[in-house]
This record gives sequence, C-alpha cells and structure tokens, in this order.
Amino acid sequence: MDMKLSCWKITCFVVAIVAAVTSCPSASYAVDMVQEYSGAFSGDLVWQESVTMTADVLILKGATLTIRAGTQISVVPAEGTKIDPEYLSPLTELLVRGKLDIQGTPEKPVRFIIIETSETEEIAWAGITLDNAVESYIQRVELERADTAIRCVTSSPEIIEAKIANCRYGIVAQQQSHPKILGNILVDGEGGIFSLSGSNPYLKNNQIINHDEEAVFVDASSRPWLDRNTIKGNAIGLALYPRDLPYDLTAVTDNQENVRWLGRQGQADVK
Amino acid sequence: MAGSPGTGRRQMMRLWSLFLLLLVAPVSAIADEVLVYQGEQTIFEDTVWNGDILIDGILTVAAGVTLEIRPGSQIRFTRFDSNGDGIGEHEIFSQGIIRVIGTVDEPVLFTSAEAEPRPGDWGAINMMVSEEENLLENCIIEYAYRGFHAHYSQARLLNSTFRNNMRGAQFQESQVVIDGCRFLDNRNGMQFRDSKVTLRGSTISGSHWGLRCVYSDLKMSGCTIENNLVNGANIRDGKIEARGNRIVGNRRGLYLQRSEAQIVGNDLSANSEHGIFLEESTVEVVDNRLANNGRAGVRWLNSKGRFARNMIADNGVYGFINDGTTAVEARNNWWGSAKSTDIVAAIRDGSDRSGLGLVDSRYPLMQPLPFNLLSETP
Repeated sequence: MDMKLSCWKITCFVVAIVAAVTSCPSASYAVDMVQEYSGAFSGDLVWQESVTMTADVLILKGATLTIRAGTQISVVPAEGTKIDPEYLSPLTELLVRGKLDIQGTPEKPVRFIIIETSETEEIAWAGITLDNAVESYIQRVELERADTAIRCVTSSPEIIEAKIANCRYGIVAQQQSHPKILGNILVDGEGGIFSLSGSNPYLKNNQIINHDEEAVFVDASSRPWLDRNTIKGNAIGLALYPRDLPYDLTAVTDNQENVRWLGRQGQADVK
Repeated sequence: MAGSPGTGRRQMMRLWSLFLLLLVAPVSAIADEVLVYQGEQTIFEDTVWNGDILIDGILTVAAGVTLEIRPGSQIRFTRFDSNGDGIGEHEIFSQGIIRVIGTVDEPVLFTSAEAEPRPGDWGAINMMVSEEENLLENCIIEYAYRGFHAHYSQARLLNSTFRNNMRGAQFQESQVVIDGCRFLDNRNGMQFRDSKVTLRGSTISGSHWGLRCVYSDLKMSGCTIENNLVNGANIRDGKIEARGNRIVGNRRGLYLQRSEAQIVGNDLSANSEHGIFLEESTVEVVDNRLANNGRAGVRWLNSKGRFARNMIADNGVYGFINDGTTAVEARNNWWGSAKSTDIVAAIRDGSDRSGLGLVDSRYPLMQPLPFNLLSETP
C-alpha cells in the first residue's frame, strides 16, 4: 500500500514537473535550441552566436536577458507601421523590464543588424528600451538605424564602449534615469544623448559626432555630469537648460554652435 | 465493509442534506454578497449584479442579453496567466449589452483579486459586435491588460477612472464617447483605430503613450493630456478636431502624421521636445499657446494649411522648425518678441539650412493675444 502510494506520488510529481516545464515556455531555455525570438519572456534567457528577433521581444520583470560576446542579432523590421503595437513602439523593439546583460568585448562585440527588404526605411527598428529595469550592463554593443538606440526609463544601466550610428536618438535618459555612459561613440544621428525629466547620467569619454541636431540635450530638471566628452561636427554641441552645469568646453569644438542656452528659442544669448 | 439499515438512513440523510445545500447555495452566495463565476460560463438571460462578484475564469455575456451592474458593486478577477506572458486571461467577454451604473459616492470597482495586484492581472471588459449602446458610468477599472476593449461596438464611458492597466482603453471599428474620464498611470493610456471617438473633459496622464489612434475620427475638447513619456497624443492617418485641450508636460505634445486637423485654442506647452509635430498633414492651427517646450514649439514637416494667431514663446532651441521642403505661411503670430531679429532667430527654415522650405512670418503680432482655453466645442 505504502509502496503504491509512493509510486503514485512520484508519478504525480514527475507529471507535474513535466507539465510545468512544457506549459510555461518562459521557465527556462536551453542555449542554442531556439535561435528566433519574439514575444514575452519571464525566465532567464541567453542569446549567443546568431539570433534573430522576428518581432518585438519583451523581457518581463524578474527575468534576465544575457547576450554573450560575439552574438549577432538580426532584427526583422516590422512590416510597414504596426497599427496596434503590442508594447511601446510601432517598430520592432527590445523592451526590458527585468535585467539586460550585454557582454560584448573589444574582440567580440555584440551586433544588432537589420534584415533589409525593399520596404525597410532609414529608421528600421525601435532600439533597446529599459523600462524600470534593474541593474543592467550594456558593453561593446553596435547599434544602428534605431529610433532610439538605448532608451532608459527609470533605469540606470552602465553603457560602456557602444557604437551607435545613424539613429534618430542615440541614448535617452528620462524619468529619473541615471545611467553611466562611458566611452561610447555616437555618430551620424539626429540627436546624441538626451537627459529628460529628472535624469542625471554620468557621461565620460564619449565621442558624439556629426548629429543633425543636438549632440547633448539637457532639460531644466536634469543634471548630467559631463566629463571629458568629445563633441564635434554637430548642429549644436551642448543644448542646455541648466546654467550651472559644469562641462569641459575644450572638447566641444567645431560644431555649428558649440553651446546653446535654452529657454528663449534662440532669441537672446542668456546665461 | 458491509452496509446496515442505519448506515443507509445516514447516507440518505447526507444526500438529502447535500441536495438542500446545493439548492440553497446560490442564494446564500448572494446573501453573503460574493457571487463566484468559475471556469468558462455564459450568462444567457438578463442579469443584475449588486454586490461583490469574483470572476475566476472567462465570463461571456451572450448576444441579446443585458448585464447591469449596480452602484457599489465590486468585481474582482483572479490572475491566471497560462503562457507566462505577464497577461492574465480571466475576463468578461460580451456580445450582449453591459450597463455599469455606478455613482460618484458608490462607484463600481473592477479590479484584481490578488493580494499584490499588478497591471495585467486580468484581461479586459471585452465587447465584441455589441452595437447596442454600452455604458460604463462612475467606474474604477484597474490592473487589467486592457481596461476597456471593444470591436465593432458602441459605448459611452462616463466619469470613470482607468488606472494601473497595461492599456487604459483599446478599441477598433467602434463608436465611443468618453466624457469626464481619467486615464491615470496606465502603461499606455488609450489606443484605437478605425473608430469614431468623442473625447471630452478627460485626463490622460502618467503613461508611455497618452493617446494613439490610426484611421480614426477624433473630436477632443477640454481634455488634459500630461506627463506621458512618449507622445501626449499621436494621430496617424486620421482626422482630429482639438479645441481647448491642455497637452502639457509630455515628451512630445501633439504629433500628427498624414492627418487632417483643426487645432484651435489649445495649450501645447512645457513638453520636453516639441509642442506640436506636424508631418505630411493638412492643418488649421490657430489661437494656441506653444510655450516653454524643450526643443521647439512647432516642428513642421511637409504639411500644409493655416498657422495663425498662435503664441510661440520661450521654447528651448527654436520657436518653429520647418524640416520639410515646402514653404509655410505663418503670418499673424506672436513670436515672444516684436523685434524682427528675434523672430528670425526663433525660426529655423531654408534660410538656415539649404533645401528646406522658408517660413513666412510676416505681419507678426506686436503682443500676444489673450489666451483662453476654449471650454467647449462650438
């Protein structure tokens, strides 16, 4: 009797485990088993080698996306402009509400590339958004043609030595985000790094070059720390509301306008 | 174990007691003010709820049937997320008519049954092909995936609060009147397509996107759209008449893409980037205040129409940016200064960047017109 009961309990236990694993696709993922991703993920996820984002990817609160050095992520642009975006953007997006750990190295950067079709527009995908994400690291990643390469909303990741090219916005810190933005190269976009709504990022040793609009934009409620950044070839180097923000003017050169104090729509040089 | 006459009687008594209990159970549930719907159930006849309801499954209201919900009722949904995507699946699905009649003092509450509720705990109040007019009046709807969701339906949402949902409201191919509602701290406030919408005296705040619509006809008046993290209001391939709204403190205020618009008497101020962004649209933009926006009051991209009698002052980088190749007529506006050099400085156009169209800012106003939000749609 006891033996039967034990067998029955073991069988139930095994069935429950199998059912749990098979019914909860986000519980765990074996590396290399799946190379195409879309949808929401509540378990830890590891990307390596070659991966395709066929549509939006959402990393839920409590989950971690780790991207190993040398991974190439092919992004499939959304067909046309989505009418009912599932998450935040009508474009294909990587949205992280958990943790993001991009582990690129100088020898093996992580690359996001666009899968081109005849309908692909210049801005081809949304980019990476961290929305109330926890402790995240973005190292040695290469991003191009995103609406916003990296957008931080109430998130404070470390963004280290990324290469960001041809994006509408490079890095946006908003809603009390305080990322460390260190040694990145941002080139040929519309705008470079934006600090909005009470955000205080630390910008050190970045190169922000050849943007059609502002290289660095700081609204009245934000106080970034600007430390030895090279800012050149932009329409406006520093566009600043705060009048008391220290910066190193020697590295803000050769912009159409090196510093613009904001608030009078260009009508007076108020300091 | 063999039976006995005494055992048989006891069994009969038990069965009889069980029968009586089952007979009385629904009544006692109502008397205890907790009516429970479990699994997939359908209401096939007109029903009135007045009290506490627990929905532990998917409840369907059949076509032709009316579900009326009385003041003070509280409807709770259990969390059930079968595929781990963070979206609960327990919900109400109506092909009939839903009439929720709360009062100011006794609103009707739709919420999560969880001890620690979060957005997306339950699905939605869904309406599918519900062409009789549905009503949600004096409700509080919270922690849903979509607070209100409709296809091919008609509804009035009155004096209700939609808060902490993934989407406050989402609908398609529907006619919806929204009056005096509050969409607060939803991930996205409201999105709809192929719909005809009247939005009056309502607030949308604290979302990523405030209002987003496509292929729709929107009349919006007396609303406040503020503190949204992307765009306050985004109208694509649609038609909008906006009068007397405050669209303030968003990242971008009002963003129109390939749309027809009358934008009259609105306050489009203090947005982090642009007060109004017009892309390939046909517009009439008059009597608005466009002030204290972070980057520019107006960003104009290959649009056409009338831009007059607006106040454009104290914006961040520029007052007006023409990023398109077409010329813009922007006469009779107040530019924050009457000095011609100041007006030129406030405008970036083809005179600053080759290939762009010019902005005709002649006949500027010498002082700002008194600004008043229009209170009602004329």
